[in-house]
Amino acid sequence: MSDQSASTPLSPHLQIWRWTVTLFCSITHRVTGMALYAGTILLTIWLASAATGEAAFATVQAIYTSPFGLIVLFGYTWALFFHLLNGIRHFVWDAGYGFSIPASRGSAWGVVGGSLALTIAVWAAVFMTGGN
Amino acid sequence: MVELTLPRNSKITAKGKSYKGEKSPSSDKAPDMRTFKIYRSDPDSGENPRVDSYEIDVSDVSMVLDALIRIKDTLDPTVTFRRSCREGVCGSCAMNINGANTLACTKGMDECGSGDVAIYPLPHQPVVKDLVTDLSKFYEQHAAIEPFLQSRDEPEQEHIQSHEQREKLDGLYECILCACCSTSCPSYWWNGDKDDGNEYLGPAALLQAYRWLQDSRDDEKSRRLDYLDDNFRLYRCHTIFNCTSVCPKGLNPAEAIAGIKRMMVERAK
Repeated sequence: MSDQSASTPLSPHLQIWRWTVTLFCSITHRVTGMALYAGTILLTIWLASAATGEAAFATVQAIYTSPFGLIVLFGYTWALFFHLLNGIRHFVWDAGYGFSIPASRGSAWGVVGGSLALTIAVWAAVFMTGGN
Repeated sequence: MVELTLPRNSKITAKGKSYKGEKSPSSDKAPDMRTFKIYRSDPDSGENPRVDSYEIDVSDVSMVLDALIRIKDTLDPTVTFRRSCREGVCGSCAMNINGANTLACTKGMDECGSGDVAIYPLPHQPVVKDLVTDLSKFYEQHAAIEPFLQSRDEPEQEHIQSHEQREKLDGLYECILCACCSTSCPSYWWNGDKDDGNEYLGPAALLQAYRWLQDSRDDEKSRRLDYLDDNFRLYRCHTIFNCTSVCPKGLNPAEAIAGIKRMMVERAK
């Protein structure tokens, strides 16, 4: 096989595959998992600035509450909820449940909808309680 | 490393041809002209793959395989594909139809929507010609899990199984090795063709591994699990669910693989 691989084409894969919600959840679980590393660094910077002093904290706070900062934090919140809910999905699988096609698709849509709803709820609560 | 794009010689860059058929003489219904966009590749030509269009009357066609045969019979005899039983038993006509793997012989035209029908070979495999792929690696992986009964002692009579023991094999033994599941799996795309020992066996081989692990007559459970207890062979499964979604026999490789993972945990207790 290896001697002919130079001329033998590889059939198309990602280019032709029709995406499904379960496929989306799998790749997004990995992407949000990586995003959480970055988010944890943001959280560490925030805590470190608070420990450093008022001026440093005010600077970080100003960046985080700028429109761009808020968008990043909103994304971080969503990544956290997505990874959490899909993690629960994996946990249920590890226990041996939820493997039928309706269950796997339903739980995938649940994770997508649930993570968006929780993220919006958290930020609605932040703005309604006048957080800054 | 994951390669998201196709190698240079595999990109679909050659210009496709168009063929137009006529009303089916055997049909007494109004003509229903449909276009099939079919992946064409002939390594002997030295050209890159292309996609050809075939417009045929499908008013008297029930399955996609019938449409392919009509195209080969009436428009272009060079279109190459495997087929044999035409009833979902042999697994020869596995291919990618409208973005998902399935058997052309059990895929109804009424399941193909109303637009063009796109037909490609099984994904991420070496293409022999057109829709025919080289499945040598897939068969090697099946052989690697030793898909046969292994009993330690020479039995003096036939192996007795209770009804309950036999029922554990339902949903496992029916696999026809069509390769729809394994070639649907992104993890298999990136890790299924490795020769360096870091090779994911894929859903089909693992479903069969589980079939023998579940067999009450088999004595080599421990050795079978030892072989599978590997970062790549088993644990490249991330429960993406493409395998279960596409299985034309309605089997559930994702669940079987999870079953093997649970057996690993249970024996480590």
